Amino acid sequence: MRLIFLSQDQLEAEERLRVQKSYSTALVSSHREPPPYGHRKGWVPRSLEDFADGGAFPEIHVAQFPLEMGRRKKTSNALAVQVDAEGKIKYDAIARQGQGKDKVVFSKYTDLLPKEVLNEDTPELQKPDEEAVKELTEKTRLALEKQVSQKIAAAMPVRAADKQAPAQYIRYTPSQQGVAFNSGAKQRVIRMVEMQKDPMEPPRFKINKKIPRGPPSPPAPVMHSPSRKMTVKEQQEWKIPPCISNWKNAKGYTIPLDKRLAADGRGLQTVHINENFAKLAEALYIADRKAREAVEMRAQVEKKMAQKEKEKKEEKLRELAQMARDRRAGIKSHGDKGGEDSEARERDEIRHDRRKERQHDRNISRAAPDKRSKLQRDQERDISELIALGMPNPRSSSEAQYDQRLFNQNKGMDSGFAGGEDETYNVYDQPFRSGRDMASNIYRPSKNIDKDAYADDLDTIMRTSRFAPGKEFSGADHGQRRDGPVQFEEDPFGLDKFLEEAKQHGASKRPSTSSRSKDDYHDKKRRKE
Amino acid sequence: MDVQKHSVHTLVFRSLKRTHDMFVSDHAKSVALDEERNPSEGGVHSMALALPPSQARHDTSRTGASVSDIHRHAGGAERSHAHSTSLMEGGGTRNSALTRKAPTMPKPQWHPPWKLFRVISGHLGWVRSIAVEPGNQWFVTGSADRTIKIWDLASGKLKLSLTGHISTVRGVAVSSRSPYLFSCGEDKQVKCWDLEYNKVIRHYHGHLSAVYDLDLHPTIDVLVTCSRDATARVWDIRTKANVHTLTGHTNTVATVRCQAAEPQIITGSHDSTIRLWDLIAGKTRVTLTNHKKSVRTLVLHPRQYTFASGSADNIKQWMFPDGNFIQNLSGHNAIINTLAVNSDGVLVSGADNGTIHMWDWRTGYNFQRIHAAVQPGSLDSESGIFACLFDHSESRLITAEADKTIKVYKEDDTATEESHPINWKPEILKRKRF
Repeated sequence: MRLIFLSQDQLEAEERLRVQKSYSTALVSSHREPPPYGHRKGWVPRSLEDFADGGAFPEIHVAQFPLEMGRRKKTSNALAVQVDAEGKIKYDAIARQGQGKDKVVFSKYTDLLPKEVLNEDTPELQKPDEEAVKELTEKTRLALEKQVSQKIAAAMPVRAADKQAPAQYIRYTPSQQGVAFNSGAKQRVIRMVEMQKDPMEPPRFKINKKIPRGPPSPPAPVMHSPSRKMTVKEQQEWKIPPCISNWKNAKGYTIPLDKRLAADGRGLQTVHINENFAKLAEALYIADRKAREAVEMRAQVEKKMAQKEKEKKEEKLRELAQMARDRRAGIKSHGDKGGEDSEARERDEIRHDRRKERQHDRNISRAAPDKRSKLQRDQERDISELIALGMPNPRSSSEAQYDQRLFNQNKGMDSGFAGGEDETYNVYDQPFRSGRDMASNIYRPSKNIDKDAYADDLDTIMRTSRFAPGKEFSGADHGQRRDGPVQFEEDPFGLDKFLEEAKQHGASKRPSTSSRSKDDYHDKKRRKE
Repeated sequence: MDVQKHSVHTLVFRSLKRTHDMFVSDHAKSVALDEERNPSEGGVHSMALALPPSQARHDTSRTGASVSDIHRHAGGAERSHAHSTSLMEGGGTRNSALTRKAPTMPKPQWHPPWKLFRVISGHLGWVRSIAVEPGNQWFVTGSADRTIKIWDLASGKLKLSLTGHISTVRGVAVSSRSPYLFSCGEDKQVKCWDLEYNKVIRHYHGHLSAVYDLDLHPTIDVLVTCSRDATARVWDIRTKANVHTLTGHTNTVATVRCQAAEPQIITGSHDSTIRLWDLIAGKTRVTLTNHKKSVRTLVLHPRQYTFASGSADNIKQWMFPDGNFIQNLSGHNAIINTLAVNSDGVLVSGADNGTIHMWDWRTGYNFQRIHAAVQPGSLDSESGIFACLFDHSESRLITAEADKTIKVYKEDDTATEESHPINWKPEILKRKRF
């Protein structure tokens, strides 16, 4: 073995190696565990595992970062756990992250519990005293004034140059002292003057750049329980249907009809008709009925009145007629009463009645001359009307009548009914005998009846003036003007008087003959005419 | 007063345990000490609420006022620390020598009921806002018929009509420091009217959408308006400059209030948050997110350092300056459009369905509900209250309604505590999560 003179360092290094070797050859080598205290010479923790439970080794003079603590490179938003004076973890550090530590932030549950009912005099509830308030007011006012003046000054572009503050003198003692610095002097005096601002200078910096707003202050913790969850039913209740206007449709949407009308709300409202409408209708109906009844009644009454009037008039006329009849009958009854037998009387009555009827008819025809007689009316009827009325039916004979076309035919059995032709009208064989026969059966006097008798000269004959009653021949005495063919002169023989008397006594004395009464009637008639 | 300070729930719940209370006050009987707890904490526990044990731990952290009270009323000699709750928990009690008082339930203060005494009609549209002048002679209303009308307070007669807005007038305010009337409308306009000439002298231009509410700072000449563009803007009255734009809300800012103490501006928004602002910096100090629905109204208590906010879920009371939640006033189950508060502690909430609830501020007891009939000729659905306000004498309540009328209410003098007794049944069993 050579004896080698080693330096101190080399000896140490050798020792270290030996130690290391001895450790590396150990059976249980847990090189994660740091060597125990006292045996750490030459050992340097290089990796995270070398620190095991953490903690730097102060005796090993190497920069150590156990648990990566202390390294400056990474920026993380991890917040260090802080503990307050009582040892409790300050969980509201999260809520206070971006703010100063004396900012008031409510984050505890106790902050939302109601406090005790305090007496009114407790000092917490008292307003701060006047002085404090005044002080605060003054401070605030000054600050606000400064702000305002700054704003206004910024708004005013040019004004008089600011008055510079007077120069300040500062005594300065530099740290580096020595003969070389400051030419041996211990202190310096510096005169500080504010730099002059050019009043006409335009602004130096551009302030029209828009930059995004900075982040807001951190949100305050929410001091109430979360809002109740909305149930589906409640959400449905708040649904508002889209508005579909009846007037505007800006984008020209095609909207189905049911949606268009849905907004109207027609189906939702029940239409209430006022019951007064029904009452009005009823009242109108009743009024109408009443009016009708009234009108009817009035009409009836009027009719009755008219009827009565008519009856009265008829009565009057009848009376007059009766009177007239009585007058005549009075004379007649003279003659009748005298003991004639009943047969003669009956015959007379019959004659009387018949005469009466004839007179009545004549009167009627005279009264309404333009009314056509029955006969004339029937002549001008249409054939269908005559048939409908059942006028002379030529077929009224009882014997059976056959179609004459059946006779004297030599056609045979297969002859049909005119070969099925339905254009011809062949129902009947003979025409209805209404027109011709009737016309020939009925005497119809023609217009020129008098032609036969007077030979076309009727007009000339009628106009002759040969037979004028007033025409005189010579030698006749001048008679009075005649108002009829027979003129009666004044009653020379008192016959009228005589007749009057006869009438008055008529009932008892002589019955007059019908012929005579007739004559009388005619005479009277003529006289009236 | 040596009255235990507990929440309503606690005290009422304890008062149920009558028999136990009787024995609790028995000096001779020694009550077992719980060795787990420290004596110092025992005092705290005794003050804790009658809760199931799991919640007691939370309550210990709420030492706050109660512990300081204990320390303030020194000695604890008069304090009764041992209570039924601590026994329930198996908690510790102090010496039995200490006197124990039965817990007292806070009783609501009696307020006379309010009744309608005048209906003023004259507007042709909904009446949206009211303001009373500082001298209490007249009040102003802004309406949906785009006019602002000035009425005499004593007689209710119309004094003046101002036109100029082109849309609904949503907010009016009368300045106490200068003869100005401020109005804001849905036409984005904020106008300053000079009341000596009855003319508009200034416009504050800047809002991007309808301006819903405005308020004047009591000591600084500054106007704050809030709008549908989710901002509130602070204006210098004289120069018409927009000093601050308070952004942060994410939905319409429906209401804004100003006060002289910190926080100087409070806004409530349709994103159901309330923000308390720092006026100097123009930034939010605190955000209160307790409400579930839009916050439509805020009111500041005239004497106390508290405020209340109204929304469709319930009305909440808060403490300044940090906005600590005090209590809930629940019962008015309608969209609350407006709140007003009296120095006597009467809180009025007016809702969108026309109902008015009157509450005792301190305890939250609803002592009256009014639903005034609509003006004859109006439909029943035209019943809603948009604004309500006490006049400066706090004896008249003026409401602006949806049937185009202004209704004035006053206290019923003939009512007494016997004729209108307090019928208070606070909720004790069901612990609601707010």
